[in-house]
Amino acid sequence: MIPAKYNLRNLKVRWVTTLMTVVSTGLVVMAAVLVFGLVDGLEHALQVSGHPLDLIVVRKGSTDEISSGLQQQVSREVASLPGIAKDENGRPLCSVELATILTKPRRNKGGTTNLIIRGLEDVGRRLRPGFKITQGRDLKPGVNEAITSRQMAERFENLRMGEKLLINHDEFTIVGYFESDGSSAESEVWMDLRDLATARRTPELTTSVSLRAQDAASADALIAQLSDDKRFQLSAIPEVKYFEDQLRQSSFIKYIGYFIAAFLTFGAMFAAANTMYAAVASRGREIGTLRALGFSRFSILSSFLFESVLLCLMGGLLGCLATLPFNGLSTGTANFASFSEITFSFRFGPRVLIQGVMLALIMGLLGGLLPALRAVRLNIIDALRER
Amino acid sequence: MSLLKYIWRNIRRNKIRSLLTILSVAFSLSLMTVLYGFMASQETWKNAASLANRVVVMNVQGFSGKVPIAMVDDVRSIDGVKAAVPYSWFGGTLQEEKMPFAQFATDPEQVFQVWPDLKIPDDQLKVFRENRRGCVVDRRIAEKRGWKIGERILLKGTFYPVNLDLELVGIFDSAKNTDSLWFNWTYLDESLRAMKNDAGGNAGTIFARIQEAAEIPAVIKAIDDRSASSETPTRSQTEAAFAQMFVDMLGNVQVMIRLIGLLVVLCLTLVAANSMAMAMRERVTEIAVLKAIGFSRRRVMVLVLGEAFLVSFLGGTLGVGMGCGLLHLMHLALPQQFPFTIIEMMGPWISYGFFVAGGIGLVSGLIPAFNASRLSVINGLRRVA
Repeated sequence: MIPAKYNLRNLKVRWVTTLMTVVSTGLVVMAAVLVFGLVDGLEHALQVSGHPLDLIVVRKGSTDEISSGLQQQVSREVASLPGIAKDENGRPLCSVELATILTKPRRNKGGTTNLIIRGLEDVGRRLRPGFKITQGRDLKPGVNEAITSRQMAERFENLRMGEKLLINHDEFTIVGYFESDGSSAESEVWMDLRDLATARRTPELTTSVSLRAQDAASADALIAQLSDDKRFQLSAIPEVKYFEDQLRQSSFIKYIGYFIAAFLTFGAMFAAANTMYAAVASRGREIGTLRALGFSRFSILSSFLFESVLLCLMGGLLGCLATLPFNGLSTGTANFASFSEITFSFRFGPRVLIQGVMLALIMGLLGGLLPALRAVRLNIIDALRER
Repeated sequence: MSLLKYIWRNIRRNKIRSLLTILSVAFSLSLMTVLYGFMASQETWKNAASLANRVVVMNVQGFSGKVPIAMVDDVRSIDGVKAAVPYSWFGGTLQEEKMPFAQFATDPEQVFQVWPDLKIPDDQLKVFRENRRGCVVDRRIAEKRGWKIGERILLKGTFYPVNLDLELVGIFDSAKNTDSLWFNWTYLDESLRAMKNDAGGNAGTIFARIQEAAEIPAVIKAIDDRSASSETPTRSQTEAAFAQMFVDMLGNVQVMIRLIGLLVVLCLTLVAANSMAMAMRERVTEIAVLKAIGFSRRRVMVLVLGEAFLVSFLGGTLGVGMGCGLLHLMHLALPQQFPFTIIEMMGPWISYGFFVAGGIGLVSGLIPAFNASRLSVINGLRRVA
């Protein structure tokens, strides 16, 4: 096998070409990783929101909370069903909620979009992953106060601490920021259930009930019981499935992401191939010498493939590093399932970075294959005769 | 021989290198064409909307708010309003399909006056007005699903807890794909009332056609003033602004697309420059000979720049062509996300691909051209082939 030093030296000698190819591969990998990071951030925001034992109860036939509508007394009855987990004081972990969307303007003239507002009671906080107040304080019911996440405050008008959000004719004052493990709750504005119902002039209206089952068997029993119940026309959806469905509707973005990455990879592949062809063309004599010395065809092939892969991997590494400043940057887009805005952060976890490196690997392998084959097929005598 | 011929011969000398560079440029620019085409289709939607003189009325809180059906009569009575209809999104499922096409509950009496560019035979319109369970669809939907007049269409409600049992009574023709089915609002309302559901009486949104474009701001103010102190204040806007709202929902997507575009252009410039540099390195002796026989520095520069430009431009042409082809495929496959054909979307954005390719060619050729023109003839000739 030809030692790796040969390839490394060659890359160093032709450093201008090497640099240009590494940078262009790097740029492509950076663009691809940014896109993957975006998609991953969106997926994470939707996935982490689902607890395996949680159920969301909506009106039968509704696929999401926003379009569901339940009378208050029906929702309250759900809490008396068996199989619901209890908190340390023996109260059922069952939250009656009113979720709806408001069209509100973004900051910096970013246009308007729909944001989710949710009226809920204290117990609702227990059902969201890792809920905690990060700034200010939690809201007091009865005085039209609201809390939201820092990302929402920065993205939308009227959502910073102390500012007032207008709902119908009533103003709600933002009194604190919360976070919840990056879940979809961080794309919402919360207030007290009664305050919101009053502001909307619909005192008896709720949209959903969120509850935690004691265990998997109870969860299944509850789902069956609610779907069989003719009186109330409710259906219980496991939270995990609820968010998976939302994810699937946003998969449009994922496919676009892969489409972009595929095209970029092809483009860069041709660039890598170009570089390698030139390398092979100018090293005719070296190849002839190596063959004459006794190195097999296979070792020449693998050596050139290795060089091509090395070139692209260096670019890949550069590209991945270049995405680090974007890590954690939060942005938002439309969640078509709930027809509202969802904010999420770029996530460059190991999976995304590995995807980027894999792309670089593919670029190197496919781009370098044909040039390497050409290197191998050179006739020794002709090769030695070259300039 | 002419300069162009010389340049072309040079490009053909190393076919593989030229082909790879062209393909590289082509793939990347076809991607950019598709992305910019997507953005252009949003613009086209807006522009088409602004010609129609329509105004959309919704509850100030957004889609979740009610617009009482009585408002439709109010709107009709305002000066300058030619016709107005309720337009309520139904969003039902057709057998297993979650979003087969758009479905709206509206008023058959005036709906074709609000959309005068949609054509329907008079007899079919008459039946639509008389048959409460009747519905009309865009011809493309009827053709795609093989529906004939009299077809029974069952739609299960998701947003509304009612199922619709409709009869196809008319097929309308429209220039662009509306992908919509229209049925009678009264039918929906009665079904809701029969279930004692209090979601009845909601027009959803109101679409109104205004006589003169100049009157639109006054009409908008009149509508909103009328409802301002009621329980359901409204927000009216032109159809173009309404369409823009949906585009806005995508948020930073436009920024991202431009960022990716920038990265791609930078990358391609490097790729093309690399390619030219490699080519020039091999031809040092040749350039020296050219200069020895009398080619001026400027001529040599033009030769090199010309070659870089041509290679890039060829890639750009191929790329834009591929991109347009892809856009057309997507228009056929996903008419909801890509509602326009290339012809309809034609605009300056298509030329971006060419300009970018040309620009890349020139920029990438600058340094090699400069070096070639500055080459010392003696040193160049010294390099024995």
